[in-house]
Amino acid sequence: MFLKSLLPTSRAEFNRWTRAVLAVSGLALLAGCKFTDIWRMDGHQSTLDVAGPVALAQRHVFYVTCWVTFTIFILVGSTLAYATLKFRARSSDDQHAPPPPQSHGNPLVELSLIALSVGALVIIAVPTLKGIWYTYDVPVQQKGEALEVNATGYQWWWRFEYPTEEATVSGTVKMPLVTANELVIPAGRPIRINLRTNDVIHSFWVPKLAGKVDMIPNRANFLWLEASQPGYFWGQCAEFCGDSHAVMRFRVIALPAKEFSEWLEQQSKPARDVEPGPTHGAVAKAQFASLRLPDDFRPNETGVTGRFEIDPLNAWRSQQMPNKGEDPALIAKGRQLFQTKTCIACHTVRGVLGAQGITGPDLTHVGARTTIAGGLLENTPEELRRWIHNPGAVKPGNKMAVGFLQNNIHLQPDEEVALVSFLESLK
Amino acid sequence: MSSQAATLTIDHHHDPSTSTGIPNKKLLMWAFLASDCMFFGALISTHLVYRLHPPAGGLDPKQIFSPELTSFSTFILLMSSLMMALAVTAIQKGNVKSCRWSLLTTIFFGMIFLGCQVFEFTEFVEVKHMTISNSLLGTTFFTLTGTHGCHVAIGVLWLSLMYVRSFKPAAGNPWQKSWLSHQLLHAGTLIVALLATLKVVLSLVFALRDAATFAAGFGHFIASDFLFIVIALLAYGGLVWFARPRGAVQFDEMNAIDVESMGLYWHFVDIVWIVIFTAVYLLEYI
Amino acid sequence: MDALAKPAFLTKEEKPAAKPRLLAHPTAKTGLMSWLTTVDHKRIGFLYGFFALFFFLVGGFEALLIRTQLMVPNNTVLTAQQYNTMFTMHGTTMIFLAIMPLSAAFFNFIMPLQIGARDVAFPRLNAFSLWTFVAGAIILNIGWFLPAATHGAPNDGWFGYAPLTSKMFTPQHSTDYWVMGLQLLGVASIAASLNFIVTIINLRAPGMTMMRLPVFTWMTLVTAFLIVLSFPAITIALVELMMDRNFNTNFFEVSNGGMPILWQHLFWVFGHPEVYILILPAMGIISEILPTFARKPLFGYPIVVFSGACIGFLGFGVWSHHMFTTGMGTVATAAFAMATMAIAVPTGVKIFNWIGTIWGGHLQMRTPMMFALGFVWMFMIGGFSGVMHAAAPADAQQQDSYFVIAHFHYVLIGGSLFALLGGIHYWFPLMFGRKVSEFWGKLSFWIIFAGFNITFFPMHFLGLNGMPRRTFTYDPNMGWNTANFVSTIGAYILGLGIFIYFATMVYTYLSGERVGRDVWDARTLEWSLPNPPPEYNYRVIPTVHARDAWWYEKNNPEELAQERAEHAKAEAAHGGIHMPFASIWPFVTSVGILIGAIGVSALGPDNATTATRLTVVLSGAVVMFLGIYFWALEGNEGYHLHLDENGEPAEEEIAADHH
Repeated sequence: MFLKSLLPTSRAEFNRWTRAVLAVSGLALLAGCKFTDIWRMDGHQSTLDVAGPVALAQRHVFYVTCWVTFTIFILVGSTLAYATLKFRARSSDDQHAPPPPQSHGNPLVELSLIALSVGALVIIAVPTLKGIWYTYDVPVQQKGEALEVNATGYQWWWRFEYPTEEATVSGTVKMPLVTANELVIPAGRPIRINLRTNDVIHSFWVPKLAGKVDMIPNRANFLWLEASQPGYFWGQCAEFCGDSHAVMRFRVIALPAKEFSEWLEQQSKPARDVEPGPTHGAVAKAQFASLRLPDDFRPNETGVTGRFEIDPLNAWRSQQMPNKGEDPALIAKGRQLFQTKTCIACHTVRGVLGAQGITGPDLTHVGARTTIAGGLLENTPEELRRWIHNPGAVKPGNKMAVGFLQNNIHLQPDEEVALVSFLESLK
Repeated sequence: MSSQAATLTIDHHHDPSTSTGIPNKKLLMWAFLASDCMFFGALISTHLVYRLHPPAGGLDPKQIFSPELTSFSTFILLMSSLMMALAVTAIQKGNVKSCRWSLLTTIFFGMIFLGCQVFEFTEFVEVKHMTISNSLLGTTFFTLTGTHGCHVAIGVLWLSLMYVRSFKPAAGNPWQKSWLSHQLLHAGTLIVALLATLKVVLSLVFALRDAATFAAGFGHFIASDFLFIVIALLAYGGLVWFARPRGAVQFDEMNAIDVESMGLYWHFVDIVWIVIFTAVYLLEYI
Repeated sequence: MDALAKPAFLTKEEKPAAKPRLLAHPTAKTGLMSWLTTVDHKRIGFLYGFFALFFFLVGGFEALLIRTQLMVPNNTVLTAQQYNTMFTMHGTTMIFLAIMPLSAAFFNFIMPLQIGARDVAFPRLNAFSLWTFVAGAIILNIGWFLPAATHGAPNDGWFGYAPLTSKMFTPQHSTDYWVMGLQLLGVASIAASLNFIVTIINLRAPGMTMMRLPVFTWMTLVTAFLIVLSFPAITIALVELMMDRNFNTNFFEVSNGGMPILWQHLFWVFGHPEVYILILPAMGIISEILPTFARKPLFGYPIVVFSGACIGFLGFGVWSHHMFTTGMGTVATAAFAMATMAIAVPTGVKIFNWIGTIWGGHLQMRTPMMFALGFVWMFMIGGFSGVMHAAAPADAQQQDSYFVIAHFHYVLIGGSLFALLGGIHYWFPLMFGRKVSEFWGKLSFWIIFAGFNITFFPMHFLGLNGMPRRTFTYDPNMGWNTANFVSTIGAYILGLGIFIYFATMVYTYLSGERVGRDVWDARTLEWSLPNPPPEYNYRVIPTVHARDAWWYEKNNPEELAQERAEHAKAEAAHGGIHMPFASIWPFVTSVGILIGAIGVSALGPDNATTATRLTVVLSGAVVMFLGIYFWALEGNEGYHLHLDENGEPAEEEIAADHH
């Protein structure tokens, strides 16, 4: 019995221990989870369940390496297993038998194995080289149709700029279109993204569309990607960038060409003004009364619901519509607070006087985004209020918390409600 | 830790107690110098990388460097290597006296090099306004040449201690009783002499540079540095006193390997300077 | 180590009349002073092992905290800052304070025995390396005990990418501790490696040609060269970082044109050879264990040696594969990808040779053999995921994801650590004269093996499923929950296995079964010694006639006995066994360095006056200088041992100063 030689001398004792260990670990496994979930490769950031040609090319190279190494593993592994089984000492007599012939090696075997390994590596090397050139830049024949975007990493959020698109600040004053944390792109068109950073090194990674490329200070990096079909994709910073690196997330939304140009047109407008009208104070109040208070959230509590699990793209579309039951008076109050509470020092909202800050994300159309706080929380009044109530508790070390402290900003509950109403109205 | 006793005839290129015949200390020094090569390699690479990618509006090295002074100090350092080689040859022949003089000359040349560097750095900061923090050129230049300067300074210290070591009394010499305190005082005096001289000479140079006439500059120098001049003179007196003949010393052919290892270090530091001189200074004028 | 402390050694210790009191040689053979002043490579090796295992447990505890935090999504066991500190210190501790010094423990203890030497070439330098390593470890960990707001333990990741480490983004002293700690560890490693290089090249016993060196000694030599040539790169990078933080220089200061990418190049020029510094000693150990328990020589010795050297050499040309995502351009990426694949060939060759060694052998399934076989399997898996990373386009997805975590833990735990744990089992009888119980040894092996795979295999899937590394939290909707949970359970099992392993070791050290010489019927020279080996190692320096010197001697006993008797006579005529004196000065020098390093790192410009800082730094420098100076003045004289027939020292005399 081969196992016998592997096991400790006292079998009874060993068995007792093994049973205990197996029982404990087995119970823990069963209690915790469905085991097969481990190799379900269909997560939001799966590198295998891909949605664009760049990620597809990268997956292809990965599969080649897998097949080659699996084959070698089977060959070498079975040889090793066979040798271990065949040449083991089978009994204690065997263990004290005279030593086997003292052979020192066989150059022919060695050289042929070296040649075989080189051959296996060539099989990997060829697709690797092809992949390196393909994934590096937009293919020449597609250069003309590529859309250029500038992405800039900040601790801990993302700024996206469309240098070729103009946005109205007010009247005839224009600037390039800027948005934050949600990159909207046309599907089926290559996107060339210039990667820059405002502070430390970040890394731009949307696994389903393309592998990552770092954003490094004083270095002009770029990557290209393309979404084959319209969709909603999860992305995340992949280079450690300080306290809240783990929650520096973002989304990429790929739209059909027509819808994309509609979106551009909508985005290029300044911030939406809600028509003055009858106040629905009571309605709004009731709406907010039903929400959880910010202090009810536990630290690091999940900020997402199942809303984007089934059909995220349509969930995104519904976010573009103005909210029902808006209260113009409350929104006007929020707009005023946005100015007086010095939010404007850091945030740009085109169309709001003085709101030209560039330290924080552009909020001109923040209400139409599906997430806030750098892709960390879903954009709902409840979560937004949680965020502005105590930013430091949501996202450790972030600049808004520092800003609150430095500018001595304290928000009363009704002020929070007004600000949330205003921001959510920015569709 | 070989058990073989030292053989009586000494072959300086072969140590029978080691497997290869190379003395352990020499091998250690060679391995260390290989490592030190990588240190300087990393620093020189840093300098060259930023030379290739200069920031906009950076300083122009040609406006700052003074190749005449640096060429002079390079020549002095090369000469010091010659003296170092002479010191090694002398001690291999058992000529302690000649070895001491060569060591002192090497120290002297090393100090001239260091003095030139202090002068150069001062000029760059005060006259050319290049500091370690106001420009990338300043950052890489001062760090690289400063690291080399530290190597030279350590070399000078080592040479000085070796010079003092050459006075260790041999067994049976009556001075042996107090040899440790003598060594410490002697070393201290030598270091004070070197530092005070450096200070005095540099003060004189700066005073003459800044003054309108020679007399004014010299007068100012005497007035401000009187104390240091006195200290330097006292220290020299002390050195002469310590160096008086005091019977047999325990410093002979057996110590050749110590001097030789030190020599390897010193030559290496020289060679590195040739590389730095080429890569940092001369490259700008090609 | 009891035998080393035999009072017999104390007899007839005489001081030369002319020795100044300050330079009197320490004579303690027991107690604290004996450990602080020891220059015996075996005691120094033991101390390296002791500190390494202590920090291994510390790093392991940090790992368990990390896994506990990630057990479920949005967990709050640790805050973001605590988590970042934890993974930084886990990485730094495991690499610099656990695996490297544990390898150094074997270098120190085993290597001189394997080449038939009585000590390393520079025994006091060896002690200096040890104490400077301890000083570095203290600096690195000092932040745990200081307020986190202004100090704290390092928290910028073990490769501390600029500009996150700059004063602007990390104003706390945590990064200063990291810089100075690594700096001291670098000094210690380089000094130790210089010593090993000279020892292996120069102190081989007669007949021990380079191509007869045991493979472990060969790998020690290659590793020592890697350390000597690669550590300068990180030393300079750290100097530049220190200058940036303390003197406002611009090496990585973006606003003045500094390029943070330079840090990455300098770091990985060191960092990749460092990977081989961690794995080559392990490969050496495996190449000792497998032949012993297969009872036949290593298959293709010259090729194993050559491939080891080849890995070391190529290791300097592949650093940028850690930077495939930094936008290097196509040509550079392709070149580094090809070079990295090339390195897989010598690595694969080693695996083939290990299998060849087993083939046709008579395998004895003892605990060290279990660890060695476990190593080969796990290292194969780690090697294969390594090849996947070499394919740059695939790496663009895997870089900085949990796939990488899985890969390097397969190489470092399944590789390095398995080999080191197996090595402890293997050489334990030689070091302490006691044998570890097979039952507890195998039990701990299986639990460690299972726990390790349960922890790290799911991480491959986590990585492929897009989970980035160094994240203190994740959302429940990402499909990462199960794998993380399983992984954490695995980590606890692994922890249990490690606990059993160490409990067994401590028990065996205190009251394990005593065994005689050469318990495994091994092949290399160290097994010819009684256990534990006496302070002078070899009574007579052996003469080596074959690659597996001890095996040859066992098979040709008459020839060897005769030869040995002749050598003993010759040696006695030369004055007996030359032993180095113990010395306190290496320790004093390291203390000076520690004080200076505290002055540099703990007292930043913002919380102490320049005068205070300078005072502390200068007093450290003075202590260090005096330590070195007295060390030099003390001279390298030693004493001679004359042994009686039983190998007991009969007589000691002061040897002449050998200058």
